[in-house]
Amino acid sequence: MNKILLFIISILFSFNALAVTNVTFWHMEGVPHRVDRIQTLIDEFNSANPDINVTQEVQNWGEIYAKAPASVAAGTAPEILVGIPDFTPILAEMGAAQPVEDFVAELDSKYGFYQKALDQYTYNGHTWAVPLWNMALSVWYRKSDFEKAGISPPKTWSDLKKAAKTLTKDGVYGIGLPGNKQLYTDQTIYSFMVNSGAEEIYNSDGTLRFDNPETVAAYDVYKELYQYSAPDAANWTWGEAEACFASKGCAMILQFTVISTYDSQAGGDADDLGVIQIPYANGKAHRAGTVSYVNSAMIMTEDPAKMEASKKFLSYLMEPGNYGRFINMEPGLFLPITEAGSKDSTYWDDPVVVKYKSQVETMLDNSTRGSLFGFTNGNTFTSISSISAQNLLAQTLQLTLIDGKSPSDAVTEGMEIMSEAIE
Amino acid sequence: MIKETYLKYIFLTLSIIIILIIFFFPFFWIITSSFKSPEEIIATSTTIIPRSFTLEHYEKILFNSDFFTYLINSLIVSFFSMFISIILSVSAAYGLHKLKFYGNKFVEYSLLVTYAFPGVILLIPIYLLFAKIYLLNTYIALIIVNVLFATPFAVWMLKAFFKLIPTEIEEAAYIDGASRIIVIFKIIIPLAAPGIASIAIFCFIISWTEYLFASILISTDSLKTLPVGLSAIVGQYQIDWGFLLSGAVLASLPVILLFLFIGKYFVSGLTEGAVK
Repeated sequence: MNKILLFIISILFSFNALAVTNVTFWHMEGVPHRVDRIQTLIDEFNSANPDINVTQEVQNWGEIYAKAPASVAAGTAPEILVGIPDFTPILAEMGAAQPVEDFVAELDSKYGFYQKALDQYTYNGHTWAVPLWNMALSVWYRKSDFEKAGISPPKTWSDLKKAAKTLTKDGVYGIGLPGNKQLYTDQTIYSFMVNSGAEEIYNSDGTLRFDNPETVAAYDVYKELYQYSAPDAANWTWGEAEACFASKGCAMILQFTVISTYDSQAGGDADDLGVIQIPYANGKAHRAGTVSYVNSAMIMTEDPAKMEASKKFLSYLMEPGNYGRFINMEPGLFLPITEAGSKDSTYWDDPVVVKYKSQVETMLDNSTRGSLFGFTNGNTFTSISSISAQNLLAQTLQLTLIDGKSPSDAVTEGMEIMSEAIE
Repeated sequence: MIKETYLKYIFLTLSIIIILIIFFFPFFWIITSSFKSPEEIIATSTTIIPRSFTLEHYEKILFNSDFFTYLINSLIVSFFSMFISIILSVSAAYGLHKLKFYGNKFVEYSLLVTYAFPGVILLIPIYLLFAKIYLLNTYIALIIVNVLFATPFAVWMLKAFFKLIPTEIEEAAYIDGASRIIVIFKIIIPLAAPGIASIAIFCFIISWTEYLFASILISTDSLKTLPVGLSAIVGQYQIDWGFLLSGAVLASLPVILLFLFIGKYFVSGLTEGAVK
């Protein structure tokens, strides 16, 4: 009898030993070489952790806002979902994204997160996601164009206006700025708002403070600069702006990066590629900043085993030696969000990063001063998702760029639209 | 008189040329651009005929991406959707055309209403429904959705074709002792072949280009269809234009091939010489 019992127990133990925890990892980086890089890391992790099986499933940015909540409602959500800050409040409110402050604190003690990266995911007393990488807008230009025109790279708005005007000639547009009702335009206009001191969308009580002189100043300078942009800029997204710069059609653009396109489609002369901080409003050097998007991983499971496995996988990705390779799935686009990651040799050893080292260093420096509308100084409210999902910053911009209203009237009307959206 | 005919001929020829240019120029430009070097694609000085010639975009899409997986998935989903839609459309259209029953008109117009109904509203309910019956991440889910969207309009199209078939032909068959099934298979379907070919192409294209539901209902990369797979690999912040163009060309080839194959049925007259 005892032997039979022992046999059953040993069988049960062996089953337990064989039990594999499955973790599904949803992300939106579908470009083949990015998928391959993530797969390499997953394979390494899976073979080092036979009790865990991570699989990646690539989703599209366009549909993930509908698909993720639906998957939560249907009980088919992944264990880990990569997202951006304005996506997290929706899933946190649904109870799908799990608070991860303890886990983030543990990673922070090891690798040292940049505070700005944590700000975008810390509100309502919790941290809702693990920051993975950063993306921040910078101004890209060709050094030779500026030398030829006898001007220096702009630091202030006055410099920028002067440069855009001077460089607009012979079929070249001085600056490429989008006017589309789309996320890219939200980002570009917000980067001007940051640099005039209008980075706060909300008051601390959750009411809007969008309609203020600093915001109007940002919309005003954007409108002035827009006249030096390409006529089709009203339909631009990131790709069109980048193509305009790469083809020498635009002398300057605001972009997260142009490195890989510049390298493969525009000659790739690293010495001629300039990158600077977004210029600030005159006299507001202390406000210098940019818009930044910290991409993160939300843990979407309450199952203790799956949660533990998910954390183990994310810890693995954040480890120096893996982290550099992870974010270099697209070299020069994704920037480190930890002190340790910024020093990771696997990040700096990538051939593209080596070639464009000074540009990457500038991007990284800019990113540490990045903010995101609705996620500043703790004044974060879940209603920001309604503003960002409808691209209301861009819509407000269109009121002045396309409908011809004054920046002041546009901002007033924009705030009314936002108020209705968040009600 | 001769002058008038001559002018009419010139006018018609010019109209056809203009229409052809308007319709085909974008396709022509996409095809030629897909052979250009990356620099030439984005160059400010636009070229219609490539100055450079490269197959690198095709090489990249065919050998460095999951293009063939997406292609096979799209073919499976589109062919099954087309096949099922044809069976349902022929049955429904013939029934609505020939069978007199209470509510005939109501059913007919209801079908049109379902076609006019914006599919996006059904997105989440269908996702939740399919999740409940374990159909997420399956071809069946996409086939059901495609049939759902293609069939109503196909029924209307086919019913119009059935109306053109003279009743006398059917009556003659019945007098000769043919059953309804024989009449449908031996007379109606062959005579409605151009109509069936039309709805086949219509249903195939609807399924081939369907993006929204395919992107929501399918999560696994190995089951993605071409529109969803290509959209993901083209990128968001950085667009690989060569990839985009060559993908567009390759994705339209099966539809063109299908049209070439089925297109001949359009040429034959519907009931030419049937009744004397």
